[in-house]
Amino acid sequence: MSFRFFLLLHVQLCLFSQLPGEVLEKQAWEKTSPQSLEDLREIQSQLQSLLPEAEKSVVSIETGDGAGSGVIISPEGLVLTAAHVIGSTGKRMKVRLHDGKRLSAVSLGGSELSDAGMLQIKGRKDLPFAPISAKDLSSVGDWCFALGHPGGFDSRRGVIVRLGRIIGKKDETMQTDSRLLGGDSGGPLFDFEGKVIAIHSRVSTQPDQNFHIPIESFLANWDFFRDQSILTLESLAEGGFLGISCQESARGLLVIGVLEGTPAEKAGIHAGDLLTQMDGKFLSTRENLTISVSQKKPGELVRLTYERDGNLLSSEIKLGRRSEE
Amino acid sequence: MKRFSWMASLLSLQVFALEDENQSRLLGYELRLNGKSTQRAFAEAKEEALRTTVRLERNGKLIALGLLVDPSGLVLTKASSCIGAREASLTNGERYALRIRKRHEPTDLALYQLIGEGDEFPAVRWSNLSNLENGSWVLSAFHELQEIRVGVASGKTRPIEREGGVMGVILGSSSKSPQGITIREVVPQAAADKAGLLSGDLITKVDGRRVKTSNHVVDLVNDKDPGDVVVLSILRKGDDRDFRITLGHRSVTFDLFNRNMQMSGPVSKRKDNFPLVFQHDLPLEREAMGGPVFDLSGKCLGINIARVDRVTVFSLPSKIVRERLEDFLSGLDAR
Repeated sequence: MSFRFFLLLHVQLCLFSQLPGEVLEKQAWEKTSPQSLEDLREIQSQLQSLLPEAEKSVVSIETGDGAGSGVIISPEGLVLTAAHVIGSTGKRMKVRLHDGKRLSAVSLGGSELSDAGMLQIKGRKDLPFAPISAKDLSSVGDWCFALGHPGGFDSRRGVIVRLGRIIGKKDETMQTDSRLLGGDSGGPLFDFEGKVIAIHSRVSTQPDQNFHIPIESFLANWDFFRDQSILTLESLAEGGFLGISCQESARGLLVIGVLEGTPAEKAGIHAGDLLTQMDGKFLSTRENLTISVSQKKPGELVRLTYERDGNLLSSEIKLGRRSEE
Repeated sequence: MKRFSWMASLLSLQVFALEDENQSRLLGYELRLNGKSTQRAFAEAKEEALRTTVRLERNGKLIALGLLVDPSGLVLTKASSCIGAREASLTNGERYALRIRKRHEPTDLALYQLIGEGDEFPAVRWSNLSNLENGSWVLSAFHELQEIRVGVASGKTRPIEREGGVMGVILGSSSKSPQGITIREVVPQAAADKAGLLSGDLITKVDGRRVKTSNHVVDLVNDKDPGDVVVLSILRKGDDRDFRITLGHRSVTFDLFNRNMQMSGPVSKRKDNFPLVFQHDLPLEREAMGGPVFDLSGKCLGINIARVDRVTVFSLPSKIVRERLEDFLSGLDAR
């Protein structure tokens, strides 16, 4: 009996002993935390192999009343940045490439909700650019590095790198412990594959808890940010209104609250419902829902598809006006 | 107005919900870049940093860090930070009296001697690296000498130009008043304000030299260093008067109004005019300047010479520090 138990135990131990084997195959930056100088050297050499290319894609943005940063993500010069850096749509501004060269640009759209913004450099087809990450590839604990021009462009100093880890990621916000300062706003956060995973947004009073706009926010509203004017908090008041608050999950938007007397309440939506589509379009982010709703006029009808207790439901809802409810 | 407050309340509701849940899901401090778990990986380099870094105190308060450079207890540090340093302590708790031996203005370095028993102090091992590549790990002792702070080399190695002294005034254009240069604004608490200058005053002479343009005033003042005195001849409501102004640092004078500086906390007074620096992102306080910075193998890359803002520390590279040290030592031998 005891022998059999020992055998069982032994088999289990063997099973478990494969786990450390898998751990060994992990790259140093994929471990819970670096264990040795060797791990640290591996992190360093990965960072340094990515830096030269990543730095070339970083720009300083001169808006006339301040400076921010941005990252070129196409050879034609589409730039991701922060909405608070560009301010409004259609403004002429200058960008400076990593080598100091000045180019003309015009601000595109974005959103004051997430602080995402876009900018177009004019008349170029051959610019150095950074690849952007697909959605949902970054998560809390990942190593990352921030690039930007804290305090403005300085040719003798160059692009500034800061190392860190993602310490929080939820809805339209990512937080890292990489250090930021004014002027970094709009600059890119890279993962350890050299892809852009976020854009610097707000500098926190706590130096190791700064805020970024996750790439998911751009991906969910790409055409809107590129082609429309910046969604401002004021303009939200003019558009349609549902009256729900929700949080993002892997399968859709989880309703966490429905305000009394709003169209959503009248249509019977309640907390716990999982919103998946609006007018047949998949709802990927919270901001995506807000933007879609705000682009409709009060009084217009939208069809919401949602899951409740495993059932797929659909309601037609007449949008209200934010100010009236 | 009503709809605006409505909107604001909705937004704030969402934000609170977000931050509330976010707090619980934030990565633990232990695992962060400067968490204890990460620090452990630095192993021997960490021990080396703690062993060779010295706390310099005045009236029981930390004013700078320093590094042990010789078994006899010689300590290098940042000269402008440790004026009046009386006592030093090590990571093992030992305390020593201090005596200053040498100072060198251009590098802002000073040499001190620990006074006490023993001539077997640990001393730093120097790195020969002349150009630190961006993204290289660096580490320094945290000021309590129990933990370290880690980060990376973050910008190009370069000289930092001299900034010159400032009065803390904004000048009007000279063409408007033929009698002198108008002071349009006086920065509160700055040198000119302390000396009693007012907006509307006309500057006629700087150190006895008649001035015709605002650029001329700026050039004459900028030739002097912070701490130097400049004498302005002022025409105020028809009266001539001289004012003596002790010039301030550009950073401290104008940065008071700079949001970046408000976010950064205390920075070094002198953060300009260095022959060569490399730069890194270690989260160190102003009082931790003067201490050594190390590479992964525990070799000393240089001395942290200025906290510039919350993403920037300047360090003097080991090559410059060692040249200075040799000069200091040969001076000691000659005596």
